[in-house]
Amino acid sequence: MVDTVRTLIQSPRTRPTLLFTLALVLYLAPFAVGTEYRLFIATQMAAYVLVAIGLNLLNGYGGQVSLGHGALVAIGAYAVALAMVDHQWSFWPAALLAMVAAAAVGAVMALPAFRLSTWYFALITLGFAEVVGGLLTEWRELTHGFAGVVGIPKPAVFGHTLTSLDLYWFALTLNGLALAGMANLLRSRFGRALVAVRDNPVAATAAGVSLVRIKMMAFVASAAMAGLAGALFAVQKTVVTPDDFTADFSIFFLLMVVLGGAGRLWGPVVGAVVFFLVPELLTALQSWRMLIYGVALLLLMLYAPHGLVGAIEAGWKRLRTRLGLSNIPPAPSLAAVRAKVEPVAGAALSVRDVEKRFGGVAALAGVSLEVAAGTTHAIVGPNGSGKTTLLNMISGFYPVDGGAILIDGHSVVGMAPHRIARRGVGRTFQTPRMLPELSVLDNALLGAFPAERQGAAAVALRLPRVRREQQASLGDAMRYLDFVGLADRAMEPAGELPHGQQRLAEIARALVGRPRLLLLDEPAAGLSLAELDRLGELVAAIGALGTTVVIVEHHLELVANICRGVTVLERGAVLASGTPTEVFSHEEVIAAYMGSQARVTQAAS
Amino acid sequence: MSANALIEVSGLDVGYGHVGVLRGVDLAVPQGTIVALVGSNGAGKSTLLRAISGLLRPWTGSIAFAGQAIAGEPPHRIIDLGLLHVAEGRRLFRRQTVHANLELGLYGTRLEKSEERRRFDRVYALFPMLAERPQALAGILSGGQQQMLAIAQALMRQPKLVMLDEPSLGLAPIVVDQVMGVLQRLRDAGTTILLVEQMVELALDIADQAYVLQNGVVIGNGPPAAIRNGDLIRRAYLGAVSDRPSG
Amino acid sequence: MDLDLLVGALTAGSLYALVAMGFNILYRPTNVFNFAQGDLVMLGAMVGATAITMLGLPWLVGAALAMLAVAVLALVEERIAVAPVLKQSATGHGWVITTLAVSMILANLVGLAWGPDPIAVKPPAPLSTETFELFSANVSSYQIAIVVITLMLVLGVEAFYGTRSGKAVLAVAEDRDAALLRGINPNRLSSWSFFLGGGVAALTGVLAAPILYASTGLGPSLLLKGFAAAAVGGIGNNRGALLAGYIIGIAEAVAATLLSPGYQLAATFAVMLVILLIRPHGLFGRAEARAV
Repeated sequence: MVDTVRTLIQSPRTRPTLLFTLALVLYLAPFAVGTEYRLFIATQMAAYVLVAIGLNLLNGYGGQVSLGHGALVAIGAYAVALAMVDHQWSFWPAALLAMVAAAAVGAVMALPAFRLSTWYFALITLGFAEVVGGLLTEWRELTHGFAGVVGIPKPAVFGHTLTSLDLYWFALTLNGLALAGMANLLRSRFGRALVAVRDNPVAATAAGVSLVRIKMMAFVASAAMAGLAGALFAVQKTVVTPDDFTADFSIFFLLMVVLGGAGRLWGPVVGAVVFFLVPELLTALQSWRMLIYGVALLLLMLYAPHGLVGAIEAGWKRLRTRLGLSNIPPAPSLAAVRAKVEPVAGAALSVRDVEKRFGGVAALAGVSLEVAAGTTHAIVGPNGSGKTTLLNMISGFYPVDGGAILIDGHSVVGMAPHRIARRGVGRTFQTPRMLPELSVLDNALLGAFPAERQGAAAVALRLPRVRREQQASLGDAMRYLDFVGLADRAMEPAGELPHGQQRLAEIARALVGRPRLLLLDEPAAGLSLAELDRLGELVAAIGALGTTVVIVEHHLELVANICRGVTVLERGAVLASGTPTEVFSHEEVIAAYMGSQARVTQAAS
Repeated sequence: MSANALIEVSGLDVGYGHVGVLRGVDLAVPQGTIVALVGSNGAGKSTLLRAISGLLRPWTGSIAFAGQAIAGEPPHRIIDLGLLHVAEGRRLFRRQTVHANLELGLYGTRLEKSEERRRFDRVYALFPMLAERPQALAGILSGGQQQMLAIAQALMRQPKLVMLDEPSLGLAPIVVDQVMGVLQRLRDAGTTILLVEQMVELALDIADQAYVLQNGVVIGNGPPAAIRNGDLIRRAYLGAVSDRPSG
Repeated sequence: MDLDLLVGALTAGSLYALVAMGFNILYRPTNVFNFAQGDLVMLGAMVGATAITMLGLPWLVGAALAMLAVAVLALVEERIAVAPVLKQSATGHGWVITTLAVSMILANLVGLAWGPDPIAVKPPAPLSTETFELFSANVSSYQIAIVVITLMLVLGVEAFYGTRSGKAVLAVAEDRDAALLRGINPNRLSSWSFFLGGGVAALTGVLAAPILYASTGLGPSLLLKGFAAAAVGGIGNNRGALLAGYIIGIAEAVAATLLSPGYQLAATFAVMLVILLIRPHGLFGRAEARAV
């Protein structure tokens, strides 16, 4: 019996069969239990699911709290209503208008989000919702004011007016398409980038992701879906009034997303279903509705932050473990991947008289160094000497106060960090910046973001050229994971890897971007002696590929073994520069590094 | 371990998250002395101080202060016992004035107004450059002045023992001299000091005893002369590089 | 501009500034922005109105009762909806949703307990809402009282931050670890700040009641306008909030004369947005250092 269950769970045909069965049931259900009322409710629920899917993209995966999606639905609904009633448009162009109008407003709403922090943004969207609500009533010339727009006709296809059954099927189909498109998007580079923007924006930037563009994309997509849902809403109810779109309306959608499971694909569906069914079952508690929702929201955030779907997933994982099945999916096979990692044309780095001031304190006072293309160079020095500051300036995370930084002869001063990354500069950080819930492979794939070129629409439709590109990136990622020695842990959640291996994964991610200049910030920190050896070999191998490597380190032994050049920084200035032998055999350098210089000064004064 | 050790650390293992930093550390700070803790960056010196002052919870091992077990106690209770930690990077409240920072050093104490005034006077006498500008915002002071303020802040509570984490960081040599001078005067007046430094010579100059930390393990301890003459320092900082021929 | 309108604007602006101050007090040690603040103000108004109008208690007693009740409620909110979420993740934004949830719960409870009808509240004698002429403007003694009381409260709260405990709160906001090392207990300070912030919210509600009516619709609009005042003034800055409150009150009044009332909110909102886009940290706010 257990064996049968296990086989069923593991069979690749189980999932599609279940989905097909579900679809069949949903499409055919009206013939068995359909009444006008039930069709009405089901269609309305489908519209809500559409909004929730979009909001889940923005909130669950993107981490932005929007309390204004109700207003976007309103805009979509009114657009369709006014176009069809006042201007005799057919439904189909009207629905398109609804999506465009909502998307445009969504884009405007998103603008403050880029300069202001997340919770500011939540309040601004709330404000938007109130303003739109007010305008719907006030702008009578456009919106018909309090009375709203009445007599919205049902959509027609080739002369056939859609019945409520047709409308239900239409809504169901929209939901199916939305879920499929969303799944494709989330499993692509956009999904990874979105999660990165939410969980570790610095890592995202270092991988070449433009935070602004990704956030804007998420906004516009979720707004368009809200607009489409509004269109559906309008033709189903045949009347739209301002009262349909109170500020509470927006909160409902957030509640659906959180209840179902933010950041889970099926979350919005489950959330909307539960949200709808509960009042139906608890009609007696109608007046207590908001109270119950509030308590539910609070309890969810405290005890089940991943909602119902999250709780189900956790239970499912426990079940699998008990059945002796692993929770880690099989890694893509390496055999399909080309065996060799390709060489790289390293970039030359030139830093000239660079200065950096924090407040009145000079962190770097005129530092210069030259790194020839394809060589490995170390920056060493005591704490506070400015090593990480310099690295941050080369990669664009700190603005440059004076001096020049040239990569292959092109100045990068004033360039945004994600654009510097896209020019072939990869980096790691003192503490590995991973996306802990994604697999090691997904983390590595984040590095391929700039290389993949297919747009969001193509990705959502999963066109053949998208599939080819994704296969190629997958191959790259697996190859580099193999290169750093993590291929066998590719599918594990990155957060569960020990520190040393997270560091290797971060290096792999940087390598996937095929950097011509690789900046490593204290990669040896926290590593055991065995891991140190491996690291030395790895950095040497990276250098052998042709990549220019600049490494900030304290472990001078590691540095001496693998670097051609060393620059010693002390108190923001260059103390010595040259080959490791030259630099480390200088008594002065060693003395300064260990503080004897201070004693020399004392004795002299 | 001498009988009059003010701090006794024994078998300490501690780290952050899954990452272990210190392994089996033993350390004793005798009363009325300056004990230096040296080692290269990443050796775990700051981690040890944070475990002692209560910011980090030890995994195994024991920490005793004046005979009382303090491992795992919250910071404010350890402070009440008379053990103060001056963190690295001169962690002051930069948006508040010098005087406000000193006043916060007295937070949680219940002293008579007259006693508070006496403490202010004493601290201002020890650090005349602070007395010159008590209303200046801490953020605009020079590095050296900020370091003095950080020490002064701790001294407001007249602690039995002060732990300092890299007080020389980012300071000019002359200022460092001044800071070390202050520490010596404190020791002479009866305060015990545990001094963490990356600048070895600095620490060895004023310490009565030193511990050398490498990769989370104590690799040696003893009087400064012994530490200086031995091989420990070069090994701790430079590893095998120290074996290369001098140029 | 009509002077009468100016007086009304300053009065409304004072109330917005008070709401903003409530936000700021809670924000300082926790970096949490309380979405339930508007409902706390409303609750204070309702409790006060019930005590004063329906039970006939003296104004001061009613106000004190309201302040105590709401302060305790705010403390409870901090313990069950804020502290646990901050412990889960110090940098996350789960508290946006939990404070929102508290707002929903409070709004609903107040609605159920008091019903939708507003309660009229008379100002405490000898103040009244009757207007008289002062420098060719029609003002009421109550309006003057509100402006004056607000000024005093702002100064009072600023004075509090000059005490040792107040400095400790600022210290926690600036550097939590350093505060810990000086014996300051951030959790205790957070709880007390919520208590104080709740009290200020209740007082705001009681003061607003004679003018804005104690009703269940008070919450949402005060939330947004109070936020606008706090954001434009610079979060955490009470004097900034005062000035910003006046600015928003005036913007509202001007919009009312130029546009029909429904557009008021849109106009005010637009003003706030423009200011924030130019100066994202408010007129008097400070940018925070970025860590890489």
